[in-house]
Amino acid sequence: MNLIEKYAAEVGKYLPSRNRADIEAEIRSTLEDMLEERAQAPNADREALTLQLLKEYGAPRKVAESYGAVQYLIGPRLYPIFEMVLKIVAAVLLGVGLLGFGVNAVRMDMAGPALVHALGKLFVDSFGGVMMAFGNIVLVFAVLERVLPLSDQKDLTDEWEPADLAKEQDPDRVKTSDLIAEIVFTVIFLALFNLYSQYVGIVIFNDNQWTFIPVLTEAFFRYMPWINLLWTLQIGLHVWLLRKGMWDVPTRLINLAFKLGSIGLAYAMLIGPAIIKVNTESLAGTSLAEVARELSPLSQFILVPFLIAMIIAPVVEIVQTVIYLVRRRSSVPFPVK
Amino acid sequence: MENDELIQNMVFELRRGIISIAVLSLLGKEEYGYSLLKALSDQGLEVDQSTLYPLLRRLESQGLLQSDWRIVDEARPRRYYVISPQGREVLAQLKKEWASMTESMQKLLS
Repeated sequence: MNLIEKYAAEVGKYLPSRNRADIEAEIRSTLEDMLEERAQAPNADREALTLQLLKEYGAPRKVAESYGAVQYLIGPRLYPIFEMVLKIVAAVLLGVGLLGFGVNAVRMDMAGPALVHALGKLFVDSFGGVMMAFGNIVLVFAVLERVLPLSDQKDLTDEWEPADLAKEQDPDRVKTSDLIAEIVFTVIFLALFNLYSQYVGIVIFNDNQWTFIPVLTEAFFRYMPWINLLWTLQIGLHVWLLRKGMWDVPTRLINLAFKLGSIGLAYAMLIGPAIIKVNTESLAGTSLAEVARELSPLSQFILVPFLIAMIIAPVVEIVQTVIYLVRRRSSVPFPVK
Repeated sequence: MENDELIQNMVFELRRGIISIAVLSLLGKEEYGYSLLKALSDQGLEVDQSTLYPLLRRLESQGLLQSDWRIVDEARPRRYYVISPQGREVLAQLKKEWASMTESMQKLLS
């Protein structure tokens, strides 16, 4: 491979695969034409002329950019939502981390250098987990960037109307940012429960080290097939809605069915065997056993209100949707499809 | 910013605006990329290759140019461009716009 071919291939690295070969061929052809003309003089040093020519033609990446070849992992349309999700996740992780730290600091009556030491150790120990969470978010957005159609970029085209700003938002129009955030958080929780369930638990600072105790019980994992099915179907519905851009009666009814499924699942968890529990048996004989026994009732104290909220919130949404559908049906002269 | 740099930027913007018309008018007969660069240069329009080639692609994707790869006179393969029927219609209209603009500018600047 000569220098010109290497140069064209280097430009090609930054080009989309669709027209890479064609542009590379054209660059090669042009450079060879230019070199041919310059090398006509007697005693011309072709190698030196080639180097000079390539220098003049420009840095490969800059040449590729002139073809509009800037490629994004997460483009400008999704970036604001990506930033928002990242901030929420960072705030939650920080909040949970500091809460756990605070509880332990009070419990152990930490102060001075011991407090700083424990805090430092917490940051070091949780660094990997935080990076993993952020990595998964980037992955989800990178996939969405490639799956979502460009048609939702109405605000970048001539179709955009300033008068729309004054209008009330069409209730059937999909709120892109809400749906994307929902997809991302669902994927995060699916990954958490399926791949990293050992990280769902409580941290205890004891004997100068942080100990992590998983809390999900076997009963919880019996619900996992249903959780996976429900949430995967929900992601599918949301991606479909993002591509269509509008809610209609069938998608609203499917969404209602998902809400009913969520209520059923939360109710089963509420009345069934405990889905979280601090396993004191496995800690028997260790210095953590007593602490774990103290924290055990606390976990149920948090879980029960959470499950009740998981029942009430979808009920409210179902009622709102049914009222909307009934009103809408009575306000149009023929049934909506 | 020095005046020279300001002027250079403004001339660049002006040139970028007229380069499409210049290319369409020169491609009444077939040209390959490098020959087109030289033809533009001969007419006093120095155009950078990083401006010309993406422009040729854009005009082709808009249906104003046609192109094909060919080997002529046993030379290396080259991509030859020529104006399309739609391009001719657009060029005719652009010429009128250009005439009107230059007339207005002549009046304005005199």
